[in-house]
Amino acid sequence: MSSEVKFNFVKLWGWLAALFIFPLIWVGGLVTTHDAGMAVPDWPGTYGYNLFLYPFWTWLYGPFDLLIEHGHRLLGSWVGLLVIFLCIAAWRQESRRWYRWACVGLLGAVIAQGLLGGFRVVLDERTIAMIHGCGGPMVFAYACFVALASSSDWKNATRSLAPRGLWKLSWVLLASTVTQLILGAQLRHALPSTSPVGFMSMVHLHLTFAGVVTLAILAVALVVRKVPYAQEPALKLPSNALVGLLVLQLLLGIGTWMANYALPWSETTWSLARYVIAAKGYWESMLVTAHQATGSLLIACSTWLICRVARRQFSLAENRNSLNNPGASAALPESVSAV
Amino acid sequence: MRRFDTTNPWFSWETVKRVCSLPRVGKLTNWRLSLFDPFEIFMNRFAAGNSVRSPWLLGLVLLLLFAFISGCGRSELEYRPNGLHAASLTRESAERDAVEIAKQAAELIETWFGTLDQPRWPAGLLESVRMDSVSRCAGPVGRRDDKVERGVFRKHCVTCHGLSGDGLGPASMLLEPYPRDFRRGTFKFKSTPVGKKPSRDDLHRTLYEGIPGTAMPSFRALEESEEFAHDIEDLVEYVRFLSIRGEVERRAISLSVREGIPLEPNSVRIQEVLSEVVLKWNSAPSDALPEPEPPVWFTSAPSDQARHLELIQKGKSHFESELTACVKCHGKTGAGDGSSQDYDEWTKDWTILAGIDPKHPKEWKEMKPYGALKPVLAKPRNFHWGTFHGGKSPSEIFKRIVLGIEGTPMPPVARAENSNPGLTDDEIWELVYYVMQLENRS
Repeated sequence: MSSEVKFNFVKLWGWLAALFIFPLIWVGGLVTTHDAGMAVPDWPGTYGYNLFLYPFWTWLYGPFDLLIEHGHRLLGSWVGLLVIFLCIAAWRQESRRWYRWACVGLLGAVIAQGLLGGFRVVLDERTIAMIHGCGGPMVFAYACFVALASSSDWKNATRSLAPRGLWKLSWVLLASTVTQLILGAQLRHALPSTSPVGFMSMVHLHLTFAGVVTLAILAVALVVRKVPYAQEPALKLPSNALVGLLVLQLLLGIGTWMANYALPWSETTWSLARYVIAAKGYWESMLVTAHQATGSLLIACSTWLICRVARRQFSLAENRNSLNNPGASAALPESVSAV
Repeated sequence: MRRFDTTNPWFSWETVKRVCSLPRVGKLTNWRLSLFDPFEIFMNRFAAGNSVRSPWLLGLVLLLLFAFISGCGRSELEYRPNGLHAASLTRESAERDAVEIAKQAAELIETWFGTLDQPRWPAGLLESVRMDSVSRCAGPVGRRDDKVERGVFRKHCVTCHGLSGDGLGPASMLLEPYPRDFRRGTFKFKSTPVGKKPSRDDLHRTLYEGIPGTAMPSFRALEESEEFAHDIEDLVEYVRFLSIRGEVERRAISLSVREGIPLEPNSVRIQEVLSEVVLKWNSAPSDALPEPEPPVWFTSAPSDQARHLELIQKGKSHFESELTACVKCHGKTGAGDGSSQDYDEWTKDWTILAGIDPKHPKEWKEMKPYGALKPVLAKPRNFHWGTFHGGKSPSEIFKRIVLGIEGTPMPPVARAENSNPGLTDDEIWELVYYVMQLENRS
């Protein structure tokens, strides 16, 4: 092996960043579930302390809402640090210029999320909390894209598929999962002054888009099993993950409604008629938070699918070459190596 | 192939025109480049030091801008005036403007009880709620600089019960039964007779136990954690505060509409109403029924088969008797399928009492702008599920039979006292025994 082969730090930091954004989203979800966004009334400090110097024991053994809110901030800082490492590594090791800027873009997105979270506290504004809550999964999806773009699949995938059906379908899926997330955030962050009619309309929209997402995922699952996609086993993995997450998400959705509002037809079964919701109960909180976090995973998986389809359907290299040299696309080989 | 012009500035008129005419953007390859590959284009141009004008990017920026602007336009939160009550009283009178009356009443109430964020107790009146608890419950959710919690009511209750305790929270329309409107001062599950206010313990019990099969949760976990141990007590105080505030508002509106009394703080008649409402709440503990204890035979009966069957037989005869009339609503088997159907008092208040037929959508919908929700029939309990909203212990069921469930069609049973016809305490316990045994028949 040549001594010139270096450890791929870009891949390491990229995946670590994506990996840590998920627990960050989970803890952020817990903050919303427990309405703990204002548990620490100042920002960027914590009760007058520097964020990193807040007494450890007071944090761990203090009120639960303070524990998760301060924990969310610390975790956010850690993710920011990881993305900074990623940027440095990308600048040193990565030859793709667009990828280097993509990493910088991710850093910008993480900083923007942090600022939104800060403004939510400083202004005590629930609407910003909602935007912050919607931004989290987008940043997660973006981080997944950055990590996926450093993967071997991205670099080695060949241009082998012609029909554009799956490509469009995967974008429809991403759009519907993002819309569904925004609708869910409207319910999670409903303002006290929201009218009952407005809230009910939002619930109906959320249910409608649950149907749209379900149909889109089922369509993807069917399409990847048909010719010519069936010859690409790499597409089955995100598709199967999406189906699994969909089943989980639908169950969590029903559970979330029950844990918040009980079922409107509760007296149809013995167990439902007896069920007493535990306000801020452990399982109830976890259920509601898991529903929100699984929504983020669905968006991330849709991004994963798009990346895999993109690397097979179109060669990004082709686009770039054609952009720089309009006449070059005709001369492209059947298989295109990493961009 | 059509190319992007990289020399134009990002936010040019050309860009706007391009976004507006998206469907007419040329060939498929351009679609792919402009719609499906914005990232690649953006990054290449950005890295090359050129400006970028992907319509998707512009759309994203506009979306973020819209989201940010929408977040800056919040209005100040305030108690919602009781327009529904004013509208139900002024329905027949074209001269009176319900909205205006409700607004005047709200202004009057604010001078006494303060605002959402800064509640206060009417000056010169003996406090019947602990105002430090009320202050902790009021206002936005969070912690003060000294780490004391605030906004407890908004944190736990507002999604269903609404900011004013009017049962019109964002989720109210989707719940069955609808969340309680505190402003009538009427509560279902209590230890005091019909017409009397609940004690603190009664409200505490509902908050602590929750109501099975409904959206009303149990806040037991709060009391069991050290940091939130006082939340339930504080919420009880705030519910009392909202009830007193709401009832004074209701009665002031009634006085204004029916007797033409001006809605002013120095009006003697309205000040009397304020004192009456507060006095009623203060006297609640003395009106409470002593905690009923089941007799010894009640607890020992299940082990004696003959006694068990005898009690069931006796309880059944009470259940089916004319005196109790349980069958009318709960049905012969106790499945909640009786022939009698009725609405609760909260619904009757603005429908039947206002001359509106709740069964006719055309009639009741005229009250929707004032916050009326679709009238729903009160649902008699199905004893086969073995759940009781007011608590499933024998003592609680005894109280429901003896005291009734205020605001609902469930009346108190007549008790054999002072030579009046009715059930004796033993007979009521036999009825409790029978009702509890119905669970096993499902």
